[in-house]
Amino acid sequence: MLKLKSVVAIVDDDKRLLESLEDLLESAGHVVRTFASAQALLDSDAVPKIDCLITDIGMPGVDGFELQRVMRQRRPGLPVIMITGRHEIAEPPQAKHDWFFRKPFDGRALLAAIGAALTGKEDRP
Amino acid sequence: MMRIWAHRPPLLHLGLFIAAYVLGCGFAQLLAIVPGTGISIWPPSGLFIATLVLASRSSWPWWVLGGCLSELFSNFLWFHSPLPAAFLIYVGNALEAVAGAWLVNRTCKRPVRLETLQEVLAFVVLAAGIAPIVSATVGSATLAWFGIQSQSFVTAWPLWWIGDATGVLIVAPLALVVFQNWRGKAQFSTARWMEACVLGLIFLGVAALSMSGYLPFAYIIMPPLLWAAVRFEFKGAAVTLILLALITAIFTVTGAGQFAGDPESQKHKQIMLQLFLAISAFSALIVAAISRQHHLAVLTLRQSERSLRELVEALQHSEQQLSQFVNMVPVYLWRLTPEGEPNFFNKRLTDFFGLDIADADRPDKSRLAAIIGTVAHPDDATSLGDALNRCVVTGESFSMKYRLRRADGMYRWMEGSAEPMRDHGGRIVQWYGVSIDIDDRLHAEEALRNRERELSLLVDMVPSHLWRVTPEGELTLVNKRMADFLGLDSGNKRQLETVFDTIFHPDEAEAVWQVLRRCLRTGETFSMNYRLRRADGVYRWMSGRADPLRDESGRIVQWFGLCHDIDDRVHAEEALRRASDRLAQATQAASLAELSASIAHEVNQPLAAIVANSHACHRWLSAQPPNIERAKITAERITRDANSAADVVGRIRALFSHTSHARSPDDVNRLIGEVCRLMADEIAAKDIRIQRDLEQDLPSVALDRVQVQQVFVNLIRNGIEAMDSVEDDPRVLQICSCRDGRDAIRVEVRDTGTGFRDPNRVFEPFFTTKQNGMGMGLAICRSIIESHGGRLWTTNNETRGATVAFRLPLAPSEAS
Repeated sequence: MLKLKSVVAIVDDDKRLLESLEDLLESAGHVVRTFASAQALLDSDAVPKIDCLITDIGMPGVDGFELQRVMRQRRPGLPVIMITGRHEIAEPPQAKHDWFFRKPFDGRALLAAIGAALTGKEDRP
Repeated sequence: MMRIWAHRPPLLHLGLFIAAYVLGCGFAQLLAIVPGTGISIWPPSGLFIATLVLASRSSWPWWVLGGCLSELFSNFLWFHSPLPAAFLIYVGNALEAVAGAWLVNRTCKRPVRLETLQEVLAFVVLAAGIAPIVSATVGSATLAWFGIQSQSFVTAWPLWWIGDATGVLIVAPLALVVFQNWRGKAQFSTARWMEACVLGLIFLGVAALSMSGYLPFAYIIMPPLLWAAVRFEFKGAAVTLILLALITAIFTVTGAGQFAGDPESQKHKQIMLQLFLAISAFSALIVAAISRQHHLAVLTLRQSERSLRELVEALQHSEQQLSQFVNMVPVYLWRLTPEGEPNFFNKRLTDFFGLDIADADRPDKSRLAAIIGTVAHPDDATSLGDALNRCVVTGESFSMKYRLRRADGMYRWMEGSAEPMRDHGGRIVQWYGVSIDIDDRLHAEEALRNRERELSLLVDMVPSHLWRVTPEGELTLVNKRMADFLGLDSGNKRQLETVFDTIFHPDEAEAVWQVLRRCLRTGETFSMNYRLRRADGVYRWMSGRADPLRDESGRIVQWFGLCHDIDDRVHAEEALRRASDRLAQATQAASLAELSASIAHEVNQPLAAIVANSHACHRWLSAQPPNIERAKITAERITRDANSAADVVGRIRALFSHTSHARSPDDVNRLIGEVCRLMADEIAAKDIRIQRDLEQDLPSVALDRVQVQQVFVNLIRNGIEAMDSVEDDPRVLQICSCRDGRDAIRVEVRDTGTGFRDPNRVFEPFFTTKQNGMGMGLAICRSIIESHGGRLWTTNNETRGATVAFRLPLAPSEAS
């Protein structure tokens, strides 16, 4: 463990998802920052502090893929876990299977993926 | 030998020759009146020489043989000499004839006619003078050797020689005349014959008179003899000579006349006689030759005179023609002296000026300056004068355009040029000049240039892009507007040739070329839309069209093309189409796949939240110690999200529910029109004709616009897709609307496609015959129509395709 509490940012335009994920991650002992849009995250002071990012893909304004691209430049190496409710969206080829989830997803699998991302067991994309 | 045999003379000629020879011998025998000599005038020598002179040399042996036979025969008849002596004498005679003929032929050109003095002299000297020396020598030696008549060589020789010479002089001319005129016709006129007769009489008279016994009297025969020689030339001389010889011989033989005498003086008389005949013959022949020569000279003169006259006539004729030519040729001709002074104008030019060459002369200046001052345009006069003077000085050719005044005062443009004619020494003799009236041509050219300028202006000003290509597809012209658009220099040919390679948008370049090449090949009109690159690199849509220009024979000469900028229109249309697409999408409430995806998304959102919350709740409760507070909050959220999911399902059900709160009265025909407009592109792309058969004034129906539109879109799309495989028959989609009973209307969509294989199953959800469909379309349509209180059904058409029909009830107020 690099530090006791990892900071995980969650971006989703659905308030219900945001609340439930915050609850889940907090129950696993993570510090959670929630944002209702990608732009809200990019505008906040959280960008340099977070250790992992979970983002929805289909969002108005900046979408999940775009956010991932921006973060790759501003925070190289930052693990990004993508979730989507739209099943017609294909899994991006560069994404690891474990870092891409379709709603509804299994909470344990998500927590396991976050744990793996934070310990750096997985190769960074 | 063969050659001699081949050249044998005709037997008749040889026979006549032999006969004449024998007669000659007889005549000689007759005249041999001098006692003790046996020698006299020897006519055979003349005959022999004349024969050989005219005969070909190869035939000589024959004549020699004939002569030999004749002489031996005559010897047998009259002379009675011993045979060897006779033979030797003949050898002498033959040698004489051969030598004489050879010499004459050698000196005079063949055939020998004795027509010139030269020939007569040669004949007299060679044939009558030298040749007899041979025979006289051989003959006298033979006589002396054999002692015939006890002659000595010295006494016999002169007699022998003069006898042969006389024979040659008298007989040879006659023989020549006879041989040469053997087949000739008498060409004498009646007057000539009369003259010949008169002359003959006079001659006979004078001859008789001359034989009066006194020797010098004999020579009074000379005038008639010479008269005959002068008037009848050689023939006259020959005939009179032989006559003279005969008369003289007759007189002498009969003992009359001055040449007959006693035996002592007979020898001397004989010589006198022979001398008389020889002199007469010589004189007559000479005079005849001179006369002949004179005559020929006169003839030649006359002929020369005649040809000279013809020449002069021809010359006059050609001069006249030249003058006609110079005046008729449709250009203005003039001539200058080497100093540059005009000395000739052709008639056309004097007519043009209305004045002759000397009319403009002024005492104070040169003729050239005076003429230029009079007829040249004032603006051209100086330069014309300078140019002509310069050419005259340097000898260069003159060429210039200038205006000349016509007689009526009009100035006309001329193109003048002049060249110097030089003699052998290179000195200029004359200047020849020509002026060609180019006034009409210049005006026509200027008019043409003006028209061309106007046309070019028009082409450049026309608010479109104009271009021209060869039948081979090479760009040869673009108007200014197009050149500006492409950023070309329109005058640069090389740039034009290559510009086609770069101006088309890469996406269409190949297609444009294909179409263009096909049109060039077949002559079809080229018509196409494509993008062209503007000078700034921006591609703009163009609508291009080109037609061929053909000549009389129908061959394509050029292609003229026009293209105009439709970029703004294309973009506007594109925007319109996109807008209409969006509208169509909105109106269709998305396709079924999209609908299901969006339902899934709507449902998945709360489900995902529920699942995550459940896990969180579980974790809060499983924690040590359990966090009840958080678990409660989480559980509450689960309830909330589950309700939210139920709402979603409720809303979806409401979409197809029987509720009619969103319905409003609407005109079905108008709805059909809107849907057709929305789908116009789709319909056009599939090459389908929509046939609308709508009943007018249908009552309006209470309906949910969006849903019913969705029904129409689905039915039309189904129909279009059903006709996808129809290739040859027309693809027609028929839409009918009509009143159905008192309280309903009916709508039918009829296609000419493949039809339903199983019309009853098509409404089952997920039943589809299409590869890219979920099989929900007709099920939803039926659901929508039934939610409106109507009914939807399908049937296969009797001929081809299928019909989907539905019935919608009227609002109670509308039913009647």
